[in-house]
Amino acid sequence: MAESTSAKKHLETTLLVPALRRKYYAESLSQTTGQKICWCSNGIPSEILDAFGINAVFVENYATVCASKRLSSGFCRAGERAGFSQDVCGYARILMGYLLGGTEAPEAPYGGLAKADFLVVNSYSCDSRMGWFATMQRTLNIPLYVLDAPYQPGGGCMDEANIVYTESQLLDFVTFLEGQTRSKLDREKLRAGIDLSRRSADIQTEIYEMRKAVPSPMSAGDAYTVVWPGMYMAGTKECDDFYARLRAEVNHRIVNKIGVVPEEKFRLLWSGLPFWYNMALLNYFEDFGGVVAIENAYFRSEKSFPPQHHDPIKDMAITSTIKRPYAGDLEQRLQLTLDIVKDYRIDGVILAYNPSCRLMYLLQPELKNALDCHGIPNVNIECDMADERTYSEGQIKTRLDAFIERMLVLRK
Amino acid sequence: MDIKLDLLRQNRHDMARLWKKETGGKVVGVFCCNVPEELIYAAGMLPVRLMGEKEEASEADLHFPSNCCPYVKRSFDQGLKHRYDYLDGIIVPNTCDMVRAMYGTWKMNLDIPFAYFLEVPQRISPRGIEFFRERILDFKGGLEEWSGCEITAKAIEDAIETYNLNRRLLQSAGRFRQDGLLSGVECQNMVISSMFMPKDEHNRLMGAFLEEAARRDTPPLGVRLLISASMLDNSDFIRLLEECGGSVVADDMPAGSRYFFYSVNHSSDPFFALAERYLVQVPCPRKMLPRDRFEFIKQVMEETGAEGAVIHNLKACDCHLYEYPYLKKMLQDLGLPVLFFRGEETEAEQETQRDDIEAFIEMIRG
Amino acid sequence: MICAGIDIGAVNTAVVVLEGDRITGSRVLDSFEESLDPRQVTDLLLEKSGIRWEDVRAFVATGRGRNGCTFAQKTGSDVACQARGAYWLFPSARTIMNLGAEASRVVSLDQHGRVISFATNDKCAAGSGLFLDSMAHLMNLDVSEIGEFALKAGSAIEVSSRCAVFAESEVISHIHKGESRENILAGLHTAVADRIFELSCKLTFMPDLVLTGGVAKNIAVVKLIEKKLGTPALVPSNPGIVGALGAALIARSIRE
Repeated sequence: MAESTSAKKHLETTLLVPALRRKYYAESLSQTTGQKICWCSNGIPSEILDAFGINAVFVENYATVCASKRLSSGFCRAGERAGFSQDVCGYARILMGYLLGGTEAPEAPYGGLAKADFLVVNSYSCDSRMGWFATMQRTLNIPLYVLDAPYQPGGGCMDEANIVYTESQLLDFVTFLEGQTRSKLDREKLRAGIDLSRRSADIQTEIYEMRKAVPSPMSAGDAYTVVWPGMYMAGTKECDDFYARLRAEVNHRIVNKIGVVPEEKFRLLWSGLPFWYNMALLNYFEDFGGVVAIENAYFRSEKSFPPQHHDPIKDMAITSTIKRPYAGDLEQRLQLTLDIVKDYRIDGVILAYNPSCRLMYLLQPELKNALDCHGIPNVNIECDMADERTYSEGQIKTRLDAFIERMLVLRK
Repeated sequence: MDIKLDLLRQNRHDMARLWKKETGGKVVGVFCCNVPEELIYAAGMLPVRLMGEKEEASEADLHFPSNCCPYVKRSFDQGLKHRYDYLDGIIVPNTCDMVRAMYGTWKMNLDIPFAYFLEVPQRISPRGIEFFRERILDFKGGLEEWSGCEITAKAIEDAIETYNLNRRLLQSAGRFRQDGLLSGVECQNMVISSMFMPKDEHNRLMGAFLEEAARRDTPPLGVRLLISASMLDNSDFIRLLEECGGSVVADDMPAGSRYFFYSVNHSSDPFFALAERYLVQVPCPRKMLPRDRFEFIKQVMEETGAEGAVIHNLKACDCHLYEYPYLKKMLQDLGLPVLFFRGEETEAEQETQRDDIEAFIEMIRG
Repeated sequence: MICAGIDIGAVNTAVVVLEGDRITGSRVLDSFEESLDPRQVTDLLLEKSGIRWEDVRAFVATGRGRNGCTFAQKTGSDVACQARGAYWLFPSARTIMNLGAEASRVVSLDQHGRVISFATNDKCAAGSGLFLDSMAHLMNLDVSEIGEFALKAGSAIEVSSRCAVFAESEVISHIHKGESRENILAGLHTAVADRIFELSCKLTFMPDLVLTGGVAKNIAVVKLIEKKLGTPALVPSNPGIVGALGAALIARSIRE
């Protein structure tokens, strides 16, 4: 196996994540209680699955695990051999390589994934997920549920028809899950899960707010790891405890002025997804006295929308219709990053062009134009988030060195 | 006659300007096969499908990265190069990531008085049709508010009638192509010209054209091909196939059968009928669970006696690229040889494609 | 009856003259080295073989430049000509891998030598003959010797990039690190063989395997492909003329 290139973590709480992750995969593999296993896409409200006692496996995460263990070349190659174009999402190619690669695929981390009983994908984030899950359905020949909701380019929409449709789809989803599990939805349990995940989400928002501090208490190298419980264990006590602990540690660092680097010379924003196979690149700037203080993927600046209705499904329909990720108007989305630059006292922006993540990739050039227009130094690196064959260490570091030099000259 | 059809595409901007001058009406640019153009037509406006040119997308390169859909990028490039300055509005449906991204980019970079985003549900269900009906009503409301004129029930009924006639004529053209009365190129040029001409005018043109074609002597057909493609907004690729000895007798493409198969049902609720036609009947891989799509392709293939299938997917077209390995397998299992291209739609690309196409045709001929 | 075939490739031009069932003359010219057009190449070969132009009953052209060939009566695709030539040489051939300067292709045949399916590489350079040429140049070696060098490696480096330009920068960084030429070359050859193998995965592989094209002269590529596929490869003594031979055979069948 290739040498590890994981990021150096600066916070102790971050170091808890690998164990949580291992446990998460081990539990789904070893469960003997007859719990149903559902492979799902990010963005599926796992609180509903939890309320049914369904074991949710978020396969996108597994793809990043494979990438971080430097197995993406092997899995991607196997996926491509099965006929999937190099254009399609690196995560999907890894997973399809895992499913169809046979002996040609590398050994699967954590002993592989628990066998799925059914699949669930959401329609409102990207095309790739829809294509990928439809493909898995053909491969595995198990039921696929598409959770549909309006896209809303305006960012939010109070339009009654949108809410009604979203609710109808959530109810339909519940019916599907009732059929799969032969049980009824426990609405009380769902309500409790939603409340808990709201609380953890708000702590995360608080932590984002705290990261405005100078010197930076927590860099992107930690941040890309600590989003994990919030994404995959939302609505659990473990998740909530994790963020409470993280908040305390970040606070402690701020109070005692413990920065990521001893003497902070510049602060960067990472735009787009990181390169999961080389997270150490996020620490690269630290040798120059720089820190990736913030990242715009997964970023949240607002508290969660307060409950709107006693019925948890209705509540989800309303709140999710009003606030849906990725759905912002282009200008709003650009403004969000410009605001981050200002609020987090950012000196320069690294634009990660991840060609196979169309959703993020398509936005980057306009973001670059907006940054240029505001005189904010930036550099773009075109590398896939998952397929490490697109990465060229020498070229990238030469580019970053020149960028840092130019940025520091400009600042004087 | 073929040359004339080709010229129509070239002259489309002049034609639209002239129409505008003569009628004083508004011209509206649309993307994809999910916009119920009937409503635009009923509002007295001219819907035109946005298309690109095979030239360097030098302007759009500043707004979109390299590995993205060349069709949408080139269409936007035309906008930036002021070739679409006569547009009064654009209608962009929620059909794919790239089209959605283009909606924001177009709005931000080009001065467009009216930009409407039409929500399209991604899951086909009775509730989805109902929801799409609501969105279509909202779209109608948007058009009325913008133009200040009511779109009457009568106008909608007439528009549906005119559009259905156009579909029937294009379906006839499809059958003519099967029998060798029309070439695949001619048929494709008809579809493309229908996408930017006023439908009543196009109906007259087609009527005359088909009448003439019906009297032709049928030349022997080449190797009968089915083409499945993401977006081909010109007939160059089909011309290449036919130059190499193929005859395109059937297609599964947005600028092809997806535009003209299935008419809008007569119904007391035209909005429901439109929702059904544009959501359920358009066999696009983005919205259907692909198995149904495969049934459609299988049926077309059997009806037309295709001897080989050519799949042409534009680069970075996720919706089609995910489906490809299974589509290929399905066709091969039916005994059909398959040739695949991931196209970038450049002039240079045609030469390498020609090599493979010639080999493919030779292989089928045995 | 004398028939001839010409294969006008991206780099090389090959001509084959066929008399009955016998190859009476063949010539491969590197169009970079000698600025001869296809006509002149043919002139030279015919002169050397003592054949007059008017004795050639039929002429078929193949290769990327085939459509510019004015003296051919007919053209044939690379796929058809490679298949024809390889099957004539080895009637047991069921899979042909044609490894050219720019293009690689894999062709499946049935027992009668008919093409059942084929796959061509994308236009990317990594995995092609020109890529190996430029890598040989980078390491100050002649392309004819790099295969031998690669076989002497202790352990192959890992070339992870799928892009030729990136691969080049990876190689340079290995040179700077002091990695041996043998190990670097072994890694590069593995990458090339992987590419070709991946191409072959698009088809159902059946032995016997025949390798044609200039790259088939590279012993390391041949060995690596054999290992990947777990089957020995048949390599003609002059793999660069197989396309032209196929064209000549097609020419002969026009006259028959």
